[in-house]
Amino acid sequence: MLNGGKPEFAPLLYELYKVCMLATNNTDQPWQGGKDPFGVNWIATAEGVIPESGKILFDDIADWKKYVKFPDVDSLGIEQMAQIELADFTDGKRKEQPVAVFNACGLFERMAAFMGFENTLCALIEDPDSCHEFFAAMADYKIACINRYIDAYKPDVIIYFDDLATARGMFMSPKTYREVIKPYHKRIVEAVTSRGVIFNQHTCGKCEDIIEDYVEMGIKIWDAAQVCNDLEGILTKYHGRLIVEGGWDTSGPASYIGAPVEVIIEETKRCAEQYGKKGNFILFPVLMNEKGHAFMTGDERIPALIMTWNQVNKL
Amino acid sequence: MAKIEEVKAMVEAGKAKLVPGLVQEALDEGSAAKDILQAMVGSMGVVGDKFSTGEIFVPEMLMAAKAMAKGVDVLKPLMAGDTSNSLGTCIIGTVAGDLHDIGKNLVSMMIESAGFTVVDLGVDVPHEKWVEAIKENQNVTLVACSGLLTTTMPALKEAVQTVKASGLTGFKVLVGGAPVTQQFADEINADGFAPDAGSAAVKAAELVKSL
Repeated sequence: MLNGGKPEFAPLLYELYKVCMLATNNTDQPWQGGKDPFGVNWIATAEGVIPESGKILFDDIADWKKYVKFPDVDSLGIEQMAQIELADFTDGKRKEQPVAVFNACGLFERMAAFMGFENTLCALIEDPDSCHEFFAAMADYKIACINRYIDAYKPDVIIYFDDLATARGMFMSPKTYREVIKPYHKRIVEAVTSRGVIFNQHTCGKCEDIIEDYVEMGIKIWDAAQVCNDLEGILTKYHGRLIVEGGWDTSGPASYIGAPVEVIIEETKRCAEQYGKKGNFILFPVLMNEKGHAFMTGDERIPALIMTWNQVNKL
Repeated sequence: MAKIEEVKAMVEAGKAKLVPGLVQEALDEGSAAKDILQAMVGSMGVVGDKFSTGEIFVPEMLMAAKAMAKGVDVLKPLMAGDTSNSLGTCIIGTVAGDLHDIGKNLVSMMIESAGFTVVDLGVDVPHEKWVEAIKENQNVTLVACSGLLTTTMPALKEAVQTVKASGLTGFKVLVGGAPVTQQFADEINADGFAPDAGSAAVKAAELVKSL
């Protein structure tokens, strides 16, 4: 799939990876909530963790050096987390299932975790010089962590999270992204790909304006690809260069709490029909229930979804 | 160029450091405070339209709102007690169970720029809190409820229903957020829906003028 070959079937994310997320819990954001290693307090919600609203460490990016103290990477327990997560993952299993390690809180999200979104977005155009300094230092930290992930987990894929877009477009202009964020984003991508690991970029929202940038940097999988983008156009244009992982209408009825199985099945079939046929697509269903995201919490509707997908995903 | 025109241009360009001085110069030139304010409201309308059409992005809109706020600071002492340009008070917040604030904050800034006094209840607002806030504040003309998640759409419905069932009147209810559509807004009996912060300000003014 990575090189444009025709797979036998379009995969389902739920069955695809051995997902590992404990290391980033220590290095970036605690999935259960609480303080991260930089002192930002995260609140756990049914749909993930977010920085505590209204609590910021500083409001002027020019001051970042006064407030941001980088943790000692040796102290973060990355190797212990890998041992825990891979304890029962034998070499035999490795041959059958790729290991994907999460690296949460990308450069833009990290700045927003410190300063809040409004201050961050203004900083990008008000004080790009300080942003450059901050992103350069933060990229160094993330690369140091990722290198340790690669040593400890020997992953096939690193999934790097940075939500750069809203449902209607990029948070910042593509020009601002390219000038202020991309140089450091590129360094992180190259740190991963230079070690033979596949870079999977998670970006929610309508980010189609920078997909070309992603591909150019060496990103091979775009995760959480939402229907506000022209997914069919992107699948066609980047066939052989980019795998699209997502496709589910995350704002539509199939993602409402308690959506009937019939609605889930219908959405599964739509994704197969519209995207699965292209050959560079991985389905990432977003089923929500009272406990949160079904991918993390489990859900009684998943077996019907899997059965349906396995009937319609052949190529 | 008349100073008032420069104020408009600099608000639109988001020049927060320049606007206060230009507002003072416009006053010195003889422009009335309320006319300068109206000019800045007009500029923010242009900014909102440009945002809605994708010509500008969130940072540029934020910078314009910040520039206008700096200009308003200069005018405030001169307009104390003058409510002729006010569209009333807007109670805004993110509904119960939802901790996201970026969308709500952007709408809040744009609504304030359109001429509302904004009372921000923050995030994860319990249903009864909306009613309390309407009672506690004067001249509430708009209640704006935000929800980002599909999982909190039921809370959006409950918030609207609680406000509507309270028996309180004199305001309209606006809803918005990533999963919200006009159809959903109609289903939950909201008075208005806006897909983004720029059009939220326009819709808010339109709703209140119809009261």
